[in-house]
Amino acid sequence: MTLPDTISGLLGIDGVVGTVIGAFLGAALIGTIMLANAALAGPWAKRKITAAFTDRIAINKLGPLGLGHILPDAVRLLSKELIVPEGVDRPAWDIAPIIMVFSALLGFAVIPMGSGIHLADPSVGLIFAFAVASIASVSLVMAGYSSNNKYSFLGGLRAVAQNLAYEIPLILTGLSVVLFAGSLQMSEIVAAQQETLALGPIGIPAWFGLVNPFAFVLFLVANVAEVGRNPFDIPEAPTEIVAGFQTEYSSVYFVLLYLGEFVHIFLGGALIATIFLGGPAAPIAALSVVPGFIWFLIKIWGVFLFTQWLRSALPRVRIDQLIEIGWKGMLVLSIANLFLTAVIVGVLPS
Amino acid sequence: MSLQEPTPDLDPGENPDGTLDYDELAGLLGEHVIDREQHENATAFVVRPDEVETVLATLKREAGFDHCSCVTAQQYQDRYESIYHLKKYKDPTQELSVVVPTPSDAPLSQSATGVYDTANWHEREAYDLVGIEYDDHPDLRRILLPETWQGHPLGLDYNQKKPQIVPLREHANPVEERTQVPGDSDTMFVNIGPHHPATHGVLHLKTVLDGEQVVDVDPDIGYLHRCEEQMCQQSTYRHQIMPYPDRWDYISAGILNEWAYARTAEEMADIEVPEYAQVLRTMSAEMCRIAAHLLAVGTFALDIYGDFTAIFMYAVTDREKVQNLLEDLTGQRLMFNYLRLGGTAWDLPEPRDEYFEKVRDFCEYIPERLEEYHNLLSSNELFQMRVMDTGILPPEEAKSYGCTGPVARASGIDYDLRRDDPYGYYDELDWNVITDDGCDNFSRALVRLEEMRESARIIEQCVDVLEDWPEDEREIQANVPRTLKPEPDTEIYRAVEAAKGELGIYIRSDGTDKPARFKIRSPAFCNLQSLEVMAEGEYVPDMVAALGSLDIVLGEVDR
Repeated sequence: MTLPDTISGLLGIDGVVGTVIGAFLGAALIGTIMLANAALAGPWAKRKITAAFTDRIAINKLGPLGLGHILPDAVRLLSKELIVPEGVDRPAWDIAPIIMVFSALLGFAVIPMGSGIHLADPSVGLIFAFAVASIASVSLVMAGYSSNNKYSFLGGLRAVAQNLAYEIPLILTGLSVVLFAGSLQMSEIVAAQQETLALGPIGIPAWFGLVNPFAFVLFLVANVAEVGRNPFDIPEAPTEIVAGFQTEYSSVYFVLLYLGEFVHIFLGGALIATIFLGGPAAPIAALSVVPGFIWFLIKIWGVFLFTQWLRSALPRVRIDQLIEIGWKGMLVLSIANLFLTAVIVGVLPS
Repeated sequence: MSLQEPTPDLDPGENPDGTLDYDELAGLLGEHVIDREQHENATAFVVRPDEVETVLATLKREAGFDHCSCVTAQQYQDRYESIYHLKKYKDPTQELSVVVPTPSDAPLSQSATGVYDTANWHEREAYDLVGIEYDDHPDLRRILLPETWQGHPLGLDYNQKKPQIVPLREHANPVEERTQVPGDSDTMFVNIGPHHPATHGVLHLKTVLDGEQVVDVDPDIGYLHRCEEQMCQQSTYRHQIMPYPDRWDYISAGILNEWAYARTAEEMADIEVPEYAQVLRTMSAEMCRIAAHLLAVGTFALDIYGDFTAIFMYAVTDREKVQNLLEDLTGQRLMFNYLRLGGTAWDLPEPRDEYFEKVRDFCEYIPERLEEYHNLLSSNELFQMRVMDTGILPPEEAKSYGCTGPVARASGIDYDLRRDDPYGYYDELDWNVITDDGCDNFSRALVRLEEMRESARIIEQCVDVLEDWPEDEREIQANVPRTLKPEPDTEIYRAVEAAKGELGIYIRSDGTDKPARFKIRSPAFCNLQSLEVMAEGEYVPDMVAALGSLDIVLGEVDR
């Protein structure tokens, strides 16, 4: 049962009206959860994690562990003047930040978060998630092209080049999982990972990340490039092209872009959790008392932590090196992975 | 089999003992030499303004003067004068000055750019500040002052009180015409800086890009010009000049800079510095070098990683430790003002044993930390992928551009004034000059890392010496007259090995207690010129890396 049905059932409204109200309320709930996560990640967790990696303390004055900084930071960012540069391509420039957040949030519609929080479960769920996540590239190009700034323009071009190079390996690797699960539906993919593999005396969960670690690593790497984090933060590259596509944005628009990036990282995390880490399932049966939603949050925050770790540890590669890694390395490996998986899946039952 | 020593390869005019035979050199130039002058550091040949290129080319090609250290320009009552301070990379004590007088009413002199690439910026500066024009110069524009500036501030007839009035229309969009590219061109013009995260201050790179590749880069400097030369010309030798050098390379290289002035002025006024003070100077200067190199490596990592990572934090933390040592010694953390003519401001802090222990701990700590930096940086494969074989500076180009310091040493040029032109206490100590043949961004970072190890060794040996120094012989200051008035028309050019390279100072006295001309040869200024060679044809990120590996400080570039 999906979230809208649960809500309409609780409210006791049947029919189309119930579905619509349930869907709206469910979407609002999921949007709020993810924005709250991003709000925690952007102004607070990111700083604390980076500080831990670089031997610093970071924010600690307001509230426990400096958590109280989130609110003043939000007020500060939102109360800044919105500077609209002369010569920007107005509708595109305004729409780009909105698309950014929108595309990332939309992807969560098909993610099963456990504890019954699952907005929709279409039979092409995985394809839908990949499709809406890629809309973000459109917003990067719009932002870069409409800003009428050369740095933004370079950033936008880099974003396209990068997304082209990494989206294909990302999806191909995702497809190898589909071969295992035999379905594109998210709930099916999660269900396919619920068994326990007996590895001698110990049983491990049949998560696809453990069944096919090669695909898991490929997907992780492609995902880092997809969300534009070190060592692949080429579209922003502060020491090279100032801030890339977001150079000219300030105030609310900047917040939207920034927030969009974090939601995007979480969407990447959610996809990894769903197709490689058993979705909301607990790693061992004994821990199933903890609600699935908590496990889901732990997993997406784990991926977030991973991206922050990379950011603090790895140098940024150069644009030509990035493209080379994408086309010559990742693409080949992901195709090889897909074929191998197909062969194994085809041979194993017989 | 011959047991005979091979005859050392001597340049014409070079004596076997490493000194110069100026008569032979003059013979080499024939009638181009119209007169000779005696400067404190070298003999000067006076040549005609239309024969500069011939003379310099001959000296470079036949007599081995491959290093044009500095070009000084000045105005006398009756003439203008350009002085080319020539040296050899193989032995910087073999010096020769070429003086080119030009008449007051038509100060036109032939450019040396065809012989030494480094002369390009030096002559632009001479044109900008003094007003000498150079014939055949490829690009004679102002370099430090804005293009709309009226007059030449270091000329004798310049009226300082006259306000600089620039009509608004000239300033409406000062970069507009320069940003125009031909309509059918595929290139893009980008202003990188003066406000840009990677320019290490207020540097402005006028860059032409073809896609992501750099077609042309033209550094625009002068945003931090603070008239340091003029301020020194208006200050007395004895006390007033010494605080200024701290402000040139302000990234904690203060004492190294002060030493440049101290060495020049002491040699000019024949001041003998007590040995004990020389040890103190050597120790404190090397502490400054470590601090400067730590920041250089930290910011270089920042440029490559694109984020404040552990390396930057570690470098700053370690720099903090050496700054504490310097603070104990000098009472200051940045603008030390520790050296005095003829000695240092004060002795080591009491209790001495405690201070020695702190310094020793630090010297033992540095090699341990270097392992960490090597683990984080030089043995990191992604890092290597980014910086190896990028920003190539071939040795010949480096020499022609007058590169010195770690930049030159990373191009395989074995040149370090501490060893080749010894001063202070360096020749009594056991240490090595680090060189690397990589010529790339990676080598430059590597040379800096390894130089810190050598600096720590020097400091350690200085501590040994200081500890054993008899208590009644701790003389920190020579007898220096209260007012210094060197003989009129004494001219001297002297350099020391500062953090970025050869920091030279030219002083001409006019018999008063203030210098008549005070010229600073900034190593970062000369090194920055070579950015063109490193960056052209590379990607933007590599240009940023090359800039980081040059380790410029805009305070020193612009002075």
